[in-house]
Amino acid sequence: MHRVHASWRGGFNDRVQFGQMDCYVGRGMLLCARRSMTVYADMSGSKYTFEPSWPRAVVGRPLCPVPAGDRDHPRKMAFHARFARGLYCSSFWIALLVSIDVASGQTSDRVPLMDLIRGQAFSRPEECLPCHRRQYDELRTAVKAGYRNVSPLFNALELAGNFFGGGRLRPVYGDSAQLTSDGTPLTANVVSAQRFTHVNEMQAGFCIGCHAPHVVLMGEDPDRREIPELAGLGMAFRPGQIRPLRDYHFIDGRGEQVLPAAIGGSPPPGSKPSLGASGISCDVCHNVIGPDLDRSVRRDGLGNGSFTLFPSLSKVGPFRFPLAVKGSFHSASLDPNRIAYLRSSDFCGSCHDVRMPGVSLTHRESNLNEGSESVTTYRLENLNTEWETGVYNSTENPFGRVIRCQDCHMSAYPYGGDSTYHVGDMRITSPTPAVFSLGFAAEPGVSTEFNARLPKRPVTNHYFTGVDVPLMSAAEMSARLGPGYPEADAHGLDRHGVPNGLAQRREDLLEAAVRISLGETDQHARAGQPFTVRLTAVSLTGHRFPAGFSQERTAYVELTIKDFHGFLLYQSGYVVDKPHPETAEMEPDGNLDDEDLEHLHAVVDPGRWTAPYRPGTASNGHTNSLFALGPDNGPEARVFFGADQGLVLWRNTLTRVFLPGDAVGRAKASNRPVVAQGPHFEETFSAAFANSVDNYRSLAPLRPTTYRYNVELPTEEELGLLGIDLVGPLHVQAQVNFLHFPPLFLRFLARTTGAEGPAGHDLNLLDEQRMDDFLVNVRGVARAETFVELVP
Amino acid sequence: MRNQNLIRVGSACLLVVALVGAALASRELLGTGREEFAPNRRFEPSRIDNPNYPVRNPFYFEGKIDYELLGIDEPENAWEYLQRGIWHQDDREDLAAAKADYRHSIALNDPSTGTCRIIRSRADLEISDPPPCMFTPRLRLAYLLLHEDPDESIRLFREVLEIDPLFLEVNLLIGKAYHDIAKTTADPEGKLQAYEAAIRAFRAELELAPVASPDITPDRVNNSTVHWHLAEVYEESGQLEDAIMEFDLYLEATRWHSDVYPWRIPLAAKKIEILRSQVVQPGHGGGPDSANPQFRESAGP
Repeated sequence: MHRVHASWRGGFNDRVQFGQMDCYVGRGMLLCARRSMTVYADMSGSKYTFEPSWPRAVVGRPLCPVPAGDRDHPRKMAFHARFARGLYCSSFWIALLVSIDVASGQTSDRVPLMDLIRGQAFSRPEECLPCHRRQYDELRTAVKAGYRNVSPLFNALELAGNFFGGGRLRPVYGDSAQLTSDGTPLTANVVSAQRFTHVNEMQAGFCIGCHAPHVVLMGEDPDRREIPELAGLGMAFRPGQIRPLRDYHFIDGRGEQVLPAAIGGSPPPGSKPSLGASGISCDVCHNVIGPDLDRSVRRDGLGNGSFTLFPSLSKVGPFRFPLAVKGSFHSASLDPNRIAYLRSSDFCGSCHDVRMPGVSLTHRESNLNEGSESVTTYRLENLNTEWETGVYNSTENPFGRVIRCQDCHMSAYPYGGDSTYHVGDMRITSPTPAVFSLGFAAEPGVSTEFNARLPKRPVTNHYFTGVDVPLMSAAEMSARLGPGYPEADAHGLDRHGVPNGLAQRREDLLEAAVRISLGETDQHARAGQPFTVRLTAVSLTGHRFPAGFSQERTAYVELTIKDFHGFLLYQSGYVVDKPHPETAEMEPDGNLDDEDLEHLHAVVDPGRWTAPYRPGTASNGHTNSLFALGPDNGPEARVFFGADQGLVLWRNTLTRVFLPGDAVGRAKASNRPVVAQGPHFEETFSAAFANSVDNYRSLAPLRPTTYRYNVELPTEEELGLLGIDLVGPLHVQAQVNFLHFPPLFLRFLARTTGAEGPAGHDLNLLDEQRMDDFLVNVRGVARAETFVELVP
Repeated sequence: MRNQNLIRVGSACLLVVALVGAALASRELLGTGREEFAPNRRFEPSRIDNPNYPVRNPFYFEGKIDYELLGIDEPENAWEYLQRGIWHQDDREDLAAAKADYRHSIALNDPSTGTCRIIRSRADLEISDPPPCMFTPRLRLAYLLLHEDPDESIRLFREVLEIDPLFLEVNLLIGKAYHDIAKTTADPEGKLQAYEAAIRAFRAELELAPVASPDITPDRVNNSTVHWHLAEVYEESGQLEDAIMEFDLYLEATRWHSDVYPWRIPLAAKKIEILRSQVVQPGHGGGPDSANPQFRESAGP
């Protein structure tokens, strides 16, 4: 029996797992043993044991079997033996990795071959940093990575869904003792299921399954589980005991999980972000194998994270002919299918379509997987489908080629120059998509084997700019995501001329998204008579505008009509500063960015703590405590009545179809509950409560759409009473504004996760102050004006 | 010697692995690897398997879908006529064609002919045919007829209230239709009845969206538009005290919400001032007597 001595301490720092084997490499040796054993053996059978205090770090490195004769003094090997060993070692691993890599691309299902060998656990993005500095820095500013998982809104929304549904949105794992609502074993979640056999499987981990699928997969190993199962589901759920997901994203100096002292409390002192805190980071996308059609409801590879993810040394990138990686730190996949998938919009669509488990009462869509027919869904977020069925997934667009997601969200867009073209009668100049900066995919001089020269070529950026900016301060993000977390308002440009600050990039992206015109407005108007303003709008986005989380993203037209002296004759898309007693704001606060538009006055019931707990609306809210149409009612009027009036709002709508006998959640003036007597369609702000969706309120791409405002001017008599002399021309001004969440929605989440909500204590996620500090209305991303002659 | 043996064994392993890899790679090259997935699918709209063509379940999708996404050459059912009618109205401003399509849609979705059902209970939903009656074609046609044929418009709006008595703004539009009738009717009795009906309709609208608790809203009054129209009706019909009350309620309702016509706010204040001066003067005259009990409606919410 040999002992590995302390003097060898510097040589055995690399541990790799092969299935059930633990192996250590170092000093030219490979020592392996079954897990949990302390006696290791080399390939000759000689046995070794480590001293008890041996430091162990998990780093993935390729291994090279070592001839037994060299184990004691590897440096004394003859040159020819070392050369032979090197050649053998490299050939072995190249052949093995290539065959494994190609084999892994053979099927879109689980890859059983890979179960035999696991080359690498999911890595933190810091592992990639030395060779991929630029991508690391870019991704760090993206809300997709990092912020998304510690976002107060994401965490509050996930909790709200759990309060409503009895904890069903938290993952369960293979070793679970939980049962479905039918009493059958529940041991699979949205990521781990082979095929869905029960809706509870799709619900389990529904949110985190796209936000951190690797964390959910890792959870199958209890030793690596970040997010625990809840103790009780359904009727056994205890809302007072559930933690926000972000509570689980801390580790201590030893890498062990630590939790805030209180549920929803501050980061534990001295804690660091866990792997889960990094969200969709390098090792999620670059370990993707391909679509998982068996978990895809329509077998189209879209929605709910329907891709196969396998962590290995083989990383997929966008290049067909990648260079060898230095020290074989990882291999670059040569599988053309895998590469094509990474480069396609379908990969993005595997998460950026969201199919809500449940039934839509206005759209029947079946699950095409055999055995999964009972697991139905409806389309919540339809972003990729919008692209797929739109003009950018064809050559019938101004650019004459298919424009993929990556061509806008991973390119120099909108900083790569402009193009001018016509859409209908509108002449448009807008940024050109699919312009990629020239650069290096990795750091030159340090990242390639033999320091092979890296070619300078078109490279993607990893900003993934969209319409979201954090609702947290830089200090808060640093406390949860690591020191020096980039600020959304950072100044300056990167080496390719792209703004460093996410807020600036978002604003620029919005300005590239839409164009409006008032050119078809009536030329003349007369006091006491109606006239018609015609606003034509066209979206330039690859999908509808807004898209994705589109029942919350709010784009709208602010329109004013004034006479020559500025007398305001008509307004739409305006906001008014007002008190909000539901969140203890008892006076107007001087801030207009936290005000809802005036087409609808609604307050959502946040629910309350009750014992015993019951899922659903009875005590968990989600119904509208207040629901009244406002003076600027445009959306409902335009869609259902065809009225030429009111707010032009590009925000999709969640709908609850109440059935006869259903209480809608509020009372009449007589205090009697309002009960539906026939099918009653009402907008809801809860995806958990919705059973229908209108995903067509947003603006379609490259489809000029005209909205009419039939405006009534005051009569001469009325003007006389007001003491106003109307003077022409009338000035009609329109602009498109963007608000990334409706304030009433944030107030609902603030209350449902507040002290008066179903948990019975404050979960410290959202409040009125956070809205005041971080909710920003981006105004004037597009503008138009015209003048109308006033005739007697 | 041992090294040579090891190299021989290693070479044999290498050869096996390379052969396996080559076999797998050749399988891929022969194109037998991946099943039916193909990236970047092209889309041709049609009625079948179209994510943009919702299949009712059991209700129709009653919103507006971009017509070209539906893959319809000629409408074949009530829903398709509705969608084409919306396209004619909203996108082409062809109101005549829109009305024709809405009429066609309603004719194919009519409870009196058994081509649709008014749902009154959950049990009604267990029967899949005929489908539930739609409200959108009725609303759209009624709105287009509001000024040119208010009686027909009112009839259609009432059909919608049969389908869903809680539908907001239907009663408001019924009230506006009666208001139009009152303004254009010369016959005093007919005018009186029209004003009366308008007031009832506006009151019914207020009933559907009452003010909520002060814990959750600063509003003491809502539905400013309804109060404005009520004030106009009362003023025109000579019920000045009620008009004053409604203008007051309008001002309260606009306190935190303004109005799309913001000049109405100072105008309402002015009207209150004027009407108050008229009420205190004897013989203010004109229109139905405000002391007439049939015009004494209950106060607003």
